[in-house]
Amino acid sequence: MQLKIGNFYVKDIVFGEKLSFADGVLTINKEEAIAFILEDEHITECDIVIARPGEKKRIVPVKEAVEARVRLDGESLFPGVTGDLRMCGSGTIHALKNMSILGVGKHWGSFGDGLVDMWGEGQKYTLFGSLINLCLVIDTDEEFEQREQQKKNRAIRWAVHRFAEYVGKVVAELEPEDSETYELPPVTKRSEEVNKLPSVVLVMQPQSQMEEMGYNDLLYGWDLNHFVPTFMHPNEVLDGGIISGSFMPSSSKWSTYDFQNFPTIKSLYREHGKSLNFLGIIMSNLNVSLEQKQRSAIFVAQIAKSLGADGAIVTEEGYGNPDADYILCLVALEDVGVKTVGISNECTGRDGASQPLVTLDVKANALVSTGNVSEMIELEPADEVIGELQALARDGLSGGWPDDDELGPSVREDGSIIMENNAMFCGDMIAGWSTKTMKEF
Amino acid sequence: MKKVIHYINQFFAGIGGEDKADHQPEIREGSVGPGMALNEALKDAKVTHTVVCGDNTMGTDTEKATATILEFLKDKEFDIFIAGPAFQAGRYGVACGTICKAVKEEFGVPVLTSMHEENPGVEMFKSEMPIFIGGPSATSMRKNVADIAAYANKLLAGEDTGPADEEGYFPRGIRHQVWLKEPVTAADRGVDMLIKKLKGEPFETELPISARDMIPIAPPIKDLSKAKIALVTSGGIVPVDNPDRIQSASATRWGRYRIDHMDRLKSGEFKTIHAGFDPAAADADPNVILPLDVMQEFVKEGKIGSLHPYFYSTVGTGTTQREAARMGREIYEHLKEDQVDGVLLVST
Amino acid sequence: MPVVQLANLIPVAVTVGANKIVPTISIPYPLGDPATPKEAQHRLRKHRVEVALDALTDDAKEQTVYKVKI
Repeated sequence: MQLKIGNFYVKDIVFGEKLSFADGVLTINKEEAIAFILEDEHITECDIVIARPGEKKRIVPVKEAVEARVRLDGESLFPGVTGDLRMCGSGTIHALKNMSILGVGKHWGSFGDGLVDMWGEGQKYTLFGSLINLCLVIDTDEEFEQREQQKKNRAIRWAVHRFAEYVGKVVAELEPEDSETYELPPVTKRSEEVNKLPSVVLVMQPQSQMEEMGYNDLLYGWDLNHFVPTFMHPNEVLDGGIISGSFMPSSSKWSTYDFQNFPTIKSLYREHGKSLNFLGIIMSNLNVSLEQKQRSAIFVAQIAKSLGADGAIVTEEGYGNPDADYILCLVALEDVGVKTVGISNECTGRDGASQPLVTLDVKANALVSTGNVSEMIELEPADEVIGELQALARDGLSGGWPDDDELGPSVREDGSIIMENNAMFCGDMIAGWSTKTMKEF
Repeated sequence: MKKVIHYINQFFAGIGGEDKADHQPEIREGSVGPGMALNEALKDAKVTHTVVCGDNTMGTDTEKATATILEFLKDKEFDIFIAGPAFQAGRYGVACGTICKAVKEEFGVPVLTSMHEENPGVEMFKSEMPIFIGGPSATSMRKNVADIAAYANKLLAGEDTGPADEEGYFPRGIRHQVWLKEPVTAADRGVDMLIKKLKGEPFETELPISARDMIPIAPPIKDLSKAKIALVTSGGIVPVDNPDRIQSASATRWGRYRIDHMDRLKSGEFKTIHAGFDPAAADADPNVILPLDVMQEFVKEGKIGSLHPYFYSTVGTGTTQREAARMGREIYEHLKEDQVDGVLLVST
Repeated sequence: MPVVQLANLIPVAVTVGANKIVPTISIPYPLGDPATPKEAQHRLRKHRVEVALDALTDDAKEQTVYKVKI
């Protein structure tokens, strides 16, 4: 399976006459673009705002991020979501780099939504602070969940996915600046040199803990709550086979942008044929009862063992009770002789003194830590807020609060904020971007 | 100029060895003994006073000695309190830890000390304050003093301090996120760690997990039919108006509610305020979290002697370990006072 | 004072050092599945609470997760 991604590096985004891309500048016809988004009858209002790194802009509540792309065979980017099912992972894609499309609530936030700052102290807390963001600021008629802490955010999430296709088409006919090729032959058909190297799988545990449908990550449009682990080609993930959901505290989330560019997959590809033999991905999930957690761990360990994996990297989209899934999976793999490394964040509390994961096991002896969800962050006011700042305090975002005996409200009158890292949009960058770690003090 | 008060024992004050270990606490102006090296290493600060106390006095008459020293300090202005270095001297190390902890609690100033890793004071006090990793004997005096002073200089200048391994003190069990100076991504760190592990080369986990210490098991109840049993839950069951305003996440409050006049918890009278799960089932029938109905049946059947007339409740989601431990201790005090024999704790 | 923890996430209870643990059926409804009849819920709840009460009398020497029948 071979996937070729041609890259177009975006230097700026501007509004203008015609949707076009030239000399690194992406031009959007705002009116036409908004008309396209409003084709969804559930979207009642939409504005498009550009946020560039360095501008004193704060974006909240951010629900989803997607990379704009086009498939040269004309197929949809997200099978089972924006188009018919097809097998993901091969063919040629053109991608607009250095930018993302963000889905932002015009008013209403929810538990899993996050914040992005484009400048200063707050910029480093998210990947998206250093990308040019095309923000779709949307209100919808989904009144049934307007006052709910948990929201499916369906209209906004789907708008972002559809809009990524709308924008991506602009580079369909153009020549990319450079390109990357991702190719792995079938596991039993590899060269002798590659077969001699230690075999490695990546185990992904995307978020799937809501028992009601509509909140979880979707694999080919399928809700991962109703799922047992399976073996996948890494290209399927890079090529839109999986999209992000709307549940987990934001800093622990994987956005669709993360899936499309998953750094841990790319690092394993880079070492493939050199220091290891990258067999592929065991796609697992995260669950709410012990039996479900154990069942998934058993499937993962069995698949890894049967494939002949010598090593595995396990990574989870979450913290709290998902740590139980994470540790169970690491231990199940170690128990069948597969050497493991885990990549996740920690929750040590605001004081840093709490137990870092809810379950611990000495067999999990090689862990990468990407951040602390409960780190306290205080930030100055922005010149411009994209979305609605009060959402952070009012709507039950995991890292915000309406009021606190000691700290006061998350959003202060002057527009400055105090929050937990929890609400930084995909802030712990567990997909592998994170240059944070955890240290003892 | 910032002010430092320094604590040393009778030996380093030049008073004498073992024969003078019962030396009573005293305070002198200026620096004494190791305080001179400390003075040299401090930037915009100096040792204004030195407290001297015999190791045996601190060890055997701890409360009185501590009170006397705190009394000495009451009218003094100081920005930081430093004790030792204590090297491998056990009693001296414990004395340094004891007095540092007391000064921190009484005056709220930063406290620092230094000990060798085998000093029993390390295990006793390392979570309370930065204890710098010191040498076994006074031959490493200059270096150990310099390490403390370097950190003190940063604190006094209001500069950021680094993690324990960079600063050179024993980790306090406090973990915070930091950005790596060499920005290697988690993806690359993970792959690199796996390659090393597969090759059998040494690697360093970013989250060390050590084998757990066993928590002692309480002696069992001998005769259940005479025992008084209490129900406790972290599942957030409260009267519908949540009279104690227990938070639905990151709880710091708990409540106790009378139940001896009911056969079961009724929907509409009790509910859950826990934000971490779908409350529908427990709101419809609170007994699925707090099993009052079956407990009352066990009382009637004589299986248990009696049910404690109150149940205790809080919320266990996002709750820090420190708060949870405090609430646990507070609840235990009540249970002990009411002579409860055993507890069923239902968690969600 | 002996304590028995009734918990669904056994690994969490084990990690934090609970010494006597009785499994429950889920996080939101530890002692009665709302999808089953009231009598079945009661039977399950009574059984598991009884196991927990008996565990209070057990002279266990190490961390123990007690077996339940229903």
